[in-house]
Amino acid sequence: MRIGVFVCQCGTNIAATVATRRVVEAALSMRDVFHGESIQYTCSDPGQRAIIDAIQQKNLTRVVLAACSPRMHETTFRRAIAQAGMNPFMLEMVNIREQCSWIHSDIDTATEKAIDLVRKGVARVRRQTPLHAGSVPVTRRALVIGGGVAGIQAALDIADAGVPVTLVEKSPTLGGNMARLDKTFPTLDCSSCILTPRMVEVKQHENIDLMVSSEIENVRGYIGNFEVDIRRKATCVIEEKCTGCMICEQKCPSRAPDDFNAGVGESKAISVAFPQAVPLVAALRKEYCRLFLKGRCSVCKKVCPAGAIDYEQEDRFVTERFGAIVAATGFEQFDWKKAYPSFGGGLYPDVITSLEYERMLSASGPTGGHIRRPSDGAEPKHIVFISCVGSRDESVGRPACCGVGCMYQAKQAILTKEHIPDSQSYVFYLDVRAGGKGYEEFVRRATREFGTIYVRGRVGKVYPRNGKLICMGTDTLAGHQVEVEADLVVLAAGLNAAGAAAGLARKLNISYDMYGFFSEGHPKLKPVETNTGGVFLAGACQGPKDIPASVAQAGAAAAKVVSLLSRAELETSPMVAEVNQMKCTGCFKCREVCPYGAIEEQELRGGRRVAHVIGSLCQGCGLCNVACPPAVIPLKGYTDNQLIAEVVEVLREPEPASSAGASAKAVEVAE
Amino acid sequence: MSGVKIIGLLCNWCSYAGADMAGTARMKQPAALRVVRLPCTGRVNPLLVLKAFQEGADGVLVSGCHPGDCHYNEGNYYARRRLELLAAMLPALGIEPERFRYTWVSASEGARWTEVVEEFTGRVEALGPRDGGAA
Amino acid sequence: MTELVTKIQEVLNEADVVLGWVHSAAAGAAVPAWFHNAVEAEAAVFDSTCVHNLAVHLPRLQDRTAGIVAKGCDIRSVVQLISEGQVRRDRVRIISVPCPGVVDVKKVWRCFGYGKKLIDAGGQVEMEGKTAPREEILLWKCRGCRDTAPLISDVVVGDPAGVAPPSPAERTGLRERFDAMTPAERRRFWQEQFSRCIRCNACREACPLCFCRDVCTMQTREPHWTGGQINAREAEMAQHIRINHLAGRCTGCEECERACPVGIPLMLLLEEQNRAVEKLFGYRAGTDPEAKPPLLVFDIDNDTWDSER
Repeated sequence: MRIGVFVCQCGTNIAATVATRRVVEAALSMRDVFHGESIQYTCSDPGQRAIIDAIQQKNLTRVVLAACSPRMHETTFRRAIAQAGMNPFMLEMVNIREQCSWIHSDIDTATEKAIDLVRKGVARVRRQTPLHAGSVPVTRRALVIGGGVAGIQAALDIADAGVPVTLVEKSPTLGGNMARLDKTFPTLDCSSCILTPRMVEVKQHENIDLMVSSEIENVRGYIGNFEVDIRRKATCVIEEKCTGCMICEQKCPSRAPDDFNAGVGESKAISVAFPQAVPLVAALRKEYCRLFLKGRCSVCKKVCPAGAIDYEQEDRFVTERFGAIVAATGFEQFDWKKAYPSFGGGLYPDVITSLEYERMLSASGPTGGHIRRPSDGAEPKHIVFISCVGSRDESVGRPACCGVGCMYQAKQAILTKEHIPDSQSYVFYLDVRAGGKGYEEFVRRATREFGTIYVRGRVGKVYPRNGKLICMGTDTLAGHQVEVEADLVVLAAGLNAAGAAAGLARKLNISYDMYGFFSEGHPKLKPVETNTGGVFLAGACQGPKDIPASVAQAGAAAAKVVSLLSRAELETSPMVAEVNQMKCTGCFKCREVCPYGAIEEQELRGGRRVAHVIGSLCQGCGLCNVACPPAVIPLKGYTDNQLIAEVVEVLREPEPASSAGASAKAVEVAE
Repeated sequence: MSGVKIIGLLCNWCSYAGADMAGTARMKQPAALRVVRLPCTGRVNPLLVLKAFQEGADGVLVSGCHPGDCHYNEGNYYARRRLELLAAMLPALGIEPERFRYTWVSASEGARWTEVVEEFTGRVEALGPRDGGAA
Repeated sequence: MTELVTKIQEVLNEADVVLGWVHSAAAGAAVPAWFHNAVEAEAAVFDSTCVHNLAVHLPRLQDRTAGIVAKGCDIRSVVQLISEGQVRRDRVRIISVPCPGVVDVKKVWRCFGYGKKLIDAGGQVEMEGKTAPREEILLWKCRGCRDTAPLISDVVVGDPAGVAPPSPAERTGLRERFDAMTPAERRRFWQEQFSRCIRCNACREACPLCFCRDVCTMQTREPHWTGGQINAREAEMAQHIRINHLAGRCTGCEECERACPVGIPLMLLLEEQNRAVEKLFGYRAGTDPEAKPPLLVFDIDNDTWDSER
């Protein structure tokens, strides 16, 4: 066994705190180490070349690389040693940067620790065996979860590349939050005018299978081969027959809240979400339907000219296989009412959210595009917009910026003036964040052309007086208290991930933060990936985003999916468990704990029943390895003996480095 | 050096990444800890903890993904049971329970990782090195 | 012909072998016996020296139908073996015997000397004229026994409801001393105890749940948790392996400690572990054939220990 130890200086990132030359000298005194070298940048081209040369000239059979985190460069160096003709898994990376030089200041302490870590790495690599990656076929079909603008974009981009897509949307129509918006900043494009053509495109695309009123029930499998159970919720309407004529909605006697209109106005128990809905089909909500509540009605069935009503319909489940998944579940607005009793906590009807206001502005909304106070239907003249409600507010435990509030407030102020020319809008703001292209100019238009008054400060209290709402706040620029009499108060409530996001995250096995937003694989380098292979993110489910950012991320996710599914086979990790069947006692504790159903029973000649690992299903967690009493199901690459050796060696008091021992091996220390 | 030796058994996906993040942010930490990387806390054999004590560790820290967040869905749920039982056994085995801690640190919790290392190192230093011999 | 003998003979009509006890004049106590036919079965006895947990043999009799004469506690081992798939319920006939507690034979021999006939009469045991209160020489596990009623059985001998479990004992003697020790003192205690270990693996051989036998890592030393040296350090690690593997599985039968030729009080550790398992997971091994051992399952909603000790 001939081990080479390469110590990276990483410029000064490591070398400033770790005396790499001393680490090399110490390594040379370790058993089976035949080469030691300190390199300025191991990951650079000349650095990798030096490693390859040393392997070939000194016939090295294993490599220890003391450098940055293996999470950063393990793949790079596996590739490098493979180029030198070695098995790529005969490499052990020792993290002396993130977990040594960068967290310690004292050179002796850091160097001593680096030497301990190298000794641990040498111990581990000595017990490493060559591993060979397997391969699994890839299912060439993608799943997109969520039918908002991000999901639509991702589905279309994937489908246009010729890859079949299933788009699952939980509500009865595509469109998501964007379909609720009236206009978009900073161009004031009509939101539905630019979105509905894309929705229709999805519906008509030959490569897209659209499933509305559907949710993800369960996800099994892994990158390239997911198996997903989809619940197709009963809507009591046969989708194929419904023509979207809305006669059922007109005749339905049961009132129901209007989900699409953010609760502004009312809808019916059976309804079409909005006139441009795609697919244009009605859906019945049993919880509001007279037939289901009182046992008598059936009006919709009687009036439906298409015979599309089926009260017997039940939830159906379909199971499909996918190679990749895009989560595009979007956002919902933070429920401000509990957190802000000072704004009435929902008691005052004329304190509304920006999304509710958006529906009021929309010509297809419940007020037909007329701005009306919910309390008395009067046209408001003084409108106060309060920013950062449930964002940038640590007092309610929500420190994050919602990212879009400043911009849509400017937009809503402009639109307000257009709707009611003699109105006056006020915006209470903390900072105006207008970083996008054309954004700052847009905010300036709101103040200069449309006369919006911007007051820098928080509103402390909103309370009614003489039919008006008094907004009390501080103008922090002028340094005095201000009071504005408002007819209508619009809150820029912060953003959360959609309510079901956490549950979906668990099914997809991805992480999420305190707001429910899904975690990307790496904040800089993997913005659309997750830490679960084959699961990608698009749009506001990953964090607050405006429309162009959502569309851009959806396109990026689609590109990742297409690239993944362009391969016929995927390499699988060889770091999987394997049973030594000669010693297996057949207790199947391994099978009990395996999260992947990767362990099956096999009968040996003579009838003895033993465990067997299905390599393509095993993900390498090691639960079985620990559960096995005779320890005969080792996880390759993380065997008990490797871990024991690491622990034993890292705790060993180092013997004083004998220079004789090092020179006996006839090695040179290169710098 | 404080003179104590601590072994950290970290899952690759959350805590090891969290420790990396602390490093990237240059959050200074005590140097007694030596980290062993594992795929999952579900790979942590309680015997490995006992072995570490027997080999002279003064403290052992296990850290993985938060419950519900395991890269392998369920690994840390099994780990939690195994480690909780181990913790309950330590006094009978003659090991001060304060020398062992298991916790959850996510990939984005670099600051929390630093706090965990500081707290645990401080705790073990207060107890001092264990006297020699078998665990 | 006693009822026990008749019932064993009946079971032998459908079983290949029945595991039970016969009296040994040499030991002055009962010793295990395998009955293959009605004649052999005539020697069967059950008394308070029938300490052995015969379930230890069942995993090796998987190809046969075996009967077993079993005390309530032994039945727990059978149940645990069934739940772990090491014994098939349809291949085992359980002959349950009512047990008022069995004696600690080592204690008996210390009190009375080896090889003398023991007379167990009421609250007193007598040997060669010497007497001792019965409860004082019972095995620790019998004190406050919770398993007098047979959990499962095919054949019942006598009236299980007719025996009263011995009263629970105070933690006196070694247990009292151990409880009072600090961790450092316990460490020295175990170093001393394990320095006597001769690595004979009798503890493992006597344990009904250590069915790995020759592939046990205490012995194969692969993976290398422990070395082959005979010293306190390696012996203790070997015992850690066994205790770890018995987590949530040990029924507390005390056979390991009884089998130990150098008298290491292994039950101090196993009792501690069993208590912890019951407290943490609400689980007693071998009391429910349908239950999964607690380390092979988890409960997302109720596993809410505070990891931040």
